[in-house]
Amino acid sequence: MDIICDKRESGTLLQVSGRLDALSAATFEKDFLQVMEGGETKVVVDLADLKYISSAGLRSILASAKKARKAGCTMHFCGLKGMVQEVFQVSGLGTMFTVSATVEEAFGA
Amino acid sequence: MRLHGIAFRLASLTLVGATLILTAILGYNYTVSRSMIVSLAEERGTLLADYTAENISGVFNAIQKVMNTISFSLEDAGLTTKQVNDLGWMVLNDNPEIFGSAIAFEPYAFQSDSKYYAPYHYRSNNDILFERLGGKDYQYFYMDWYQLPRELERSVWTEPYYDKVGDSELMTTYAVPFYRMRDGHKVLKGVVTADISLSWVQKLIAGLSDRESGYVFMLSRYGTFIAHPDANLVMNETIFTRAEKLKHPQLREVGRRMVAGESDVVELKDMPVIGDSFLYFSPLLDQQWSIGVVFPKKEIMADVSRLNREVATLGILGFVVLVLLITCLASRITRPLRKLTVSAHDMASGNLEAELPVTTSKDEVGELTSAFQTMQDSIKNYITNLTETTAAKERIESELRIAHDIQMSILPKLFPAFPERKEFDIYASIEPAKEVGGDLYDFFFVDETHFCFLVGDVSGKGVPAAFFMAVTKTLLKVVAERTLDPGEVLIRVNNDLAEDNDACMFVTLFLAVMEISTGKVRYASAGHNPPLLMTKRKGVEWIPPLNELVAGVMEDTHYTTKSMTLSPGDTLFIYTDGVTEAMDSTQELYSEERLEDVMNQCQGKSAEQIIRTIDGALKDFTGGAEQSDDITMLAMQYLGTNSES
Repeated sequence: MDIICDKRESGTLLQVSGRLDALSAATFEKDFLQVMEGGETKVVVDLADLKYISSAGLRSILASAKKARKAGCTMHFCGLKGMVQEVFQVSGLGTMFTVSATVEEAFGA
Repeated sequence: MRLHGIAFRLASLTLVGATLILTAILGYNYTVSRSMIVSLAEERGTLLADYTAENISGVFNAIQKVMNTISFSLEDAGLTTKQVNDLGWMVLNDNPEIFGSAIAFEPYAFQSDSKYYAPYHYRSNNDILFERLGGKDYQYFYMDWYQLPRELERSVWTEPYYDKVGDSELMTTYAVPFYRMRDGHKVLKGVVTADISLSWVQKLIAGLSDRESGYVFMLSRYGTFIAHPDANLVMNETIFTRAEKLKHPQLREVGRRMVAGESDVVELKDMPVIGDSFLYFSPLLDQQWSIGVVFPKKEIMADVSRLNREVATLGILGFVVLVLLITCLASRITRPLRKLTVSAHDMASGNLEAELPVTTSKDEVGELTSAFQTMQDSIKNYITNLTETTAAKERIESELRIAHDIQMSILPKLFPAFPERKEFDIYASIEPAKEVGGDLYDFFFVDETHFCFLVGDVSGKGVPAAFFMAVTKTLLKVVAERTLDPGEVLIRVNNDLAEDNDACMFVTLFLAVMEISTGKVRYASAGHNPPLLMTKRKGVEWIPPLNELVAGVMEDTHYTTKSMTLSPGDTLFIYTDGVTEAMDSTQELYSEERLEDVMNQCQGKSAEQIIRTIDGALKDFTGGAEQSDDITMLAMQYLGTNSES
């Protein structure tokens, strides 16, 4: 898994690619926490290049979201497709988060 | 000493080297000493030949001088008979080495009335006697000693001859012509002679021959032996007749050179008695004689051989000492190495307490030993660590095994679960990816007619998931036994799980309650993957997902209860994502499509057969690749209330 962090005016964009599984979940949480500690109020997670997400990966997203909520930071998702979109849908996570189609849309929201 | 040991190789290599060097030294020594000794012998031989020649010449030269003086005196025309006779007497008296002296005049040259005038003085028993030579029976003008100087007009040494008078002594005569002036011309008046015994020369040469290992000989101008240790040869043979007899062409050649007055050293092969020899020859120029010195080659070489024998003996002694020294040294050097080898073998066979030899030396063996010591300590430490780690690991593994057993024991494992119930057939299987897992399933009767069954999947794997699974399973059982509404069950369980769930663990759940008498199923899903429904009428179809949130994340989440009705023969297949996300070695997922395909082949099969078929297909797909997630399957087949009929 690779994470590209892009700080923008209205928030920070995290582009996650590869596989988000038990092995990489901790890295995601750590990177996300770093962004949070910078006092960010809006994080957009772009999962367009994510090929696979396991339940451990989902857990890391949920744990990050929980911390974000406490810190008063909103978490947006975009670029969901294929298996990842399916997982988001089936697990009901789609209903929990703001999910947009594109990065621009997410920043616009 | 071992045949392939370092000591043996070291010793043998050194000794081979030493042998080669020794051989080279011996060879060099032989060559050099041989040439040195040969040149020494040459020098000695040449010196001896020259010295002898000079010695003899010295005596002869003195006589030549005396006789030349006399010849001058005789050129005085006014000499009286007495004066001539006195002159002859005086020659003998003053020169003891002269045996006799004649003053022979030309015919009628001294006294016009006398054809012969030749007063001759000679020694006999310490007296000097006088006689006149010449007469009809002794016409001295025709003798060699007179003829030669007369014709050659110079003084001459005659060929040696045996004296007829005395006891056959070998003599030679020095004859000098003398002249008187008449009308401004030199006219020969006569010849004055001195007879000299050669016995002293023979003695001298014999003496030399006795002293030396070889011998000395002397040749006349015609090659006749004047002196030779073999008396039979003297005056009887020439070097040429000798060469003929011995069939020795080289000797003839040497004889020719000796007679020609040359001086040289030659090696003569196969000489009688003494074998190969060196011959040194030098001329007596005035007499045109030649002195030869012969040394047997083996005599000269004997010195070389002796010298080399001694050097070889010394060399061999040295070699033996070297052998002992090197053998001793090599085995001393390799002894600690051999000891170390024994210890290393001991260590290699597993005895880590093997005692290493004590070395105080700072050489390579010492370093090796200390390296071995370090290695031994490291291995011991490592093994201690390994033992501890292994023990800890074993403890954890054993705990995990027990945990596994406990986890499995809280799931219903006995099939057929309800053999007395003919209305339905239920079968389930679970296969954790690790010792313990986060998947769960359960089924039980809520009351006489309502049968509850469920499948769940906790996020993650291993011990944390297992704990969460156990909590979930317990909660579900407690809650589901109190209410028949699956949505309500999930709402309550979710609230309990979400409370203080800082780790954000969650569980997906599919829970269904079937009314056995009618086949009516009410179900709810907390983010669980959609189960498959296989009916005789429509085949295999996915149960549409409700897309409701996984349990444990957020309190007060609402879960909807849906319902459907199973006809007899219909099967509901619930599973965890370990099935569809099972991966082969290229990390390709098994996928819903493949699951659906396999399920399509399961029409008419029992619940257990369905699960076994799918499990088999799954194993074929992964082909032994490591299982990444827990795999749980549950098949609920409704058989109907009148299945017996």
